[in-house]
Amino acid sequence: MHHEHSAPAPQPIHVAIVEDDLGFSDALVRVLQATPDMHLAAKAGTQAEGLHLLQGPPADVLLVDLGLPDGSGIAVIQAAVVLWPSCSIMVSTNFGDETHVMRSIEAGAAGYLLKDSSPAKMIEEIRSLASGGSPISPIIARQVLTRFRQTTPSSVGQAAVDAIASPLSTREKEVLEFIVKGFTAQEIAKLMQLSPFTVRTFVRRIYSKLKVTSKAEAIYEARTLGLLGE
Amino acid sequence: MLFLQDGHGYPATASVHLTRAEWQISEAHGFSAPPRTLDSKTLPDAWQPVVLPQALPVAAHPTDGTALSTTSNITSTTWIKLSANDLSGLSGELALYGVRIKTDGTIAVYANGRLVHRAQEQGPSWNSLFTPLWIVLDKQADTAPLSEILIRLEHTPQSRIALSSVWVGPSDALRGRYYMRQWLQRDLPAMLSAAFLAVGVFALFVWLKRRHETRYLLFFNLAAVSFVGHMHYYVSRPMTQDWFAWLTSNALFWLLLVVHFFLCQLHGRPLTWLTRVLVGGIVLISVLTLPGIAVLPVFPSTSLLVPLVYGIAVLVGTTVALTGGVSAWHRSEDGRLVALGIGGGVMLGIPDWLLHNNFLSPEGWFLGAYTNAVTFGLFGVLMYRRYLSAIGEVEQLNANLAQRLQAREAELEISHQRLRKVEFQQTISDERQRLMQDMHDGLGSSLISAIRMADNGGMSDAKISQILKDCLDDLKLTIDSMEPVEADLLLLLATLRFRLEPRLEGSGTTLRWEVQELPTLVWLDPSSALNILRIIQESIANILRHTRATEIRVSTALVAKGVRVNIADNGQGFDIEKALRKTSGRGLQNQLRRAQAVEGTVHWQSGPAGTLFTLWLPLVRTMLRSSV
Repeated sequence: MHHEHSAPAPQPIHVAIVEDDLGFSDALVRVLQATPDMHLAAKAGTQAEGLHLLQGPPADVLLVDLGLPDGSGIAVIQAAVVLWPSCSIMVSTNFGDETHVMRSIEAGAAGYLLKDSSPAKMIEEIRSLASGGSPISPIIARQVLTRFRQTTPSSVGQAAVDAIASPLSTREKEVLEFIVKGFTAQEIAKLMQLSPFTVRTFVRRIYSKLKVTSKAEAIYEARTLGLLGE
Repeated sequence: MLFLQDGHGYPATASVHLTRAEWQISEAHGFSAPPRTLDSKTLPDAWQPVVLPQALPVAAHPTDGTALSTTSNITSTTWIKLSANDLSGLSGELALYGVRIKTDGTIAVYANGRLVHRAQEQGPSWNSLFTPLWIVLDKQADTAPLSEILIRLEHTPQSRIALSSVWVGPSDALRGRYYMRQWLQRDLPAMLSAAFLAVGVFALFVWLKRRHETRYLLFFNLAAVSFVGHMHYYVSRPMTQDWFAWLTSNALFWLLLVVHFFLCQLHGRPLTWLTRVLVGGIVLISVLTLPGIAVLPVFPSTSLLVPLVYGIAVLVGTTVALTGGVSAWHRSEDGRLVALGIGGGVMLGIPDWLLHNNFLSPEGWFLGAYTNAVTFGLFGVLMYRRYLSAIGEVEQLNANLAQRLQAREAELEISHQRLRKVEFQQTISDERQRLMQDMHDGLGSSLISAIRMADNGGMSDAKISQILKDCLDDLKLTIDSMEPVEADLLLLLATLRFRLEPRLEGSGTTLRWEVQELPTLVWLDPSSALNILRIIQESIANILRHTRATEIRVSTALVAKGVRVNIADNGQGFDIEKALRKTSGRGLQNQLRRAQAVEGTVHWQSGPAGTLFTLWLPLVRTMLRSSV
């Protein structure tokens, strides 16, 4: 996604890392150290360490790898959503493929970082995330659209889902449709007469709706299965 | 001269059973009407005692000395006197009941000398023997107590008359007895006969629709001849030599003939000789007894012939039953049953014959009336069994059908599964081949050259890094090709752009995205997706590598029968022919090959102001599978 320069915050961005891949985490640490407005707050290499890390003071951005040696990063994301509610969670991924990214977003992640990104790109993504924006790829956009299309029109758990989740707004849907067609955030901003940053915040809002929707679906399913009481 | 069975007093409702009587015989010239009144004292005092029921002997010597037997005009009159002095105790309306009176002449009954009943004025009727005697004695006309009952029977001298015992009593007390007799001897067999005929008519209609099943026709014939043959039990026509006599007498033989045919059908043996003899004999009898021909005296020339006819019938019946039974014994259960039934019928006929010949008491039952019931019951059982077995067969057939269907379904399911499995394996195999090919051409060869360079040490780290980045890009596209693009070419292009964006950003080339909505390409599977991604990737890579363009424009268009992807740059262009011929121009060759694989085409148009690359893709593909 295209970057957008937000004004450097007076407070540095505190970044915590839960990463198994030493090469990547070293590169990331180096980048963070080289960037004045960034600060490495904490670092973990396993799921257990990651969960322990969450007991400490919350960071602004948490970077989580999904394939940790002792378990899935998803658990770390879920714990972070609860323990560090103000923190923006980011998943590090090799390919940004649909399966991994969607699962992370549903668990509460706000974005993802491709491991082969250039240092500049990394910084840009972290900054964007810290300031409330989220990246998105065309395939993820299509998946999100499909997900909301499945949920919104007269599905079985309609009432239950509606009670918690709100459907996508027209503009949000518009943004997603542009992304599916291959337009960048800048182009979309121009087409919709918005700032590119606003486009990215739209994506963040869409992600949180997706998270709520998937949670509502899960609750509804659990209820219909009798796993949860009223 | 008073003979009473019982000398004691009777209750008011009781009736008296008279079994003792006196009789005498006198001669006359022809039958005459009985007088209105008659005093028994005017008759000669030649009474002889007799115990009823009794068949009276034929008068041994006609009192007239002449040769009487040749003169038909001479008739006899038998008088039977029943004294009823002790009947005075009876009250109410009295009635007289007896099982039958057998005579071939007239019947007249006098009570206290007054004529109270006349019958058979025209001679005997067909049903006379089966109709019980029932006389209601009108007491109003004669207030004197009933003291004497006199019966006057006229007949031919040769025939024996017979009389059953007689009941006298209140008509209410005797009526039940009378009706029971009447019903069992006449009405019930008549009803069964009629029912038999009705079922026979039903069978006839079945046969009309199913001509090949002659059994139904035989059954109808059986019912019809049975009915006709038994009409004489119920019809009160006088016995004369007419068509009715011919029909009803011969029907018995026809019945036996039909039964014989039926049996032959059941046991399946022709019995040619028996059949010939039966057909010949019965046709002969039927023809000779025709009223018009009358070579043989038509029955009822009674006394002599009737016993003879019954004798022949019993004989024929026995023959048919025995031969049929023997033939059917091990062959057909139905045939056995019919044979037994006919045997039973013959048995039933024997009492008739014995009765006709006065070997049995005149109070006996003419059981022959029930042969119809037996035949009906018998064939009823056959039909019932046939019906049940038909239902069973249909059920069995249905069950078989269901079973076969089930088996077939199971077979289909198995072959379907097998097919799916094969298809699945085929898909996996195709996919593997596709990925292998792709890895081999792209990723593999790039990695090999990177390793070689690193080993030789002739390359800068930056160069090696670039090659590895290219490898990763290749890999990303391979993964993207497997993402669900839902037949959306635009989404595929968008994904490609998303992947290439970091490369473009560093190149200083601007990408202008001028795409427009495209229809769905239903054939866009992962394999085709990868081919398209590679074609466009190659095209953009070529621009970045060779043309020094500052701007790339990507646009899409819907054209006839397909969609077009245009990639235009403002670089210096190149000689397409040369590039295609060059060995290093493998990129262009690959593009051509991949376009062919998805039944599309690629086209270059190059000049000093830039190059226009066009990929055309069909909306519908004719070939099912594509290979890389």
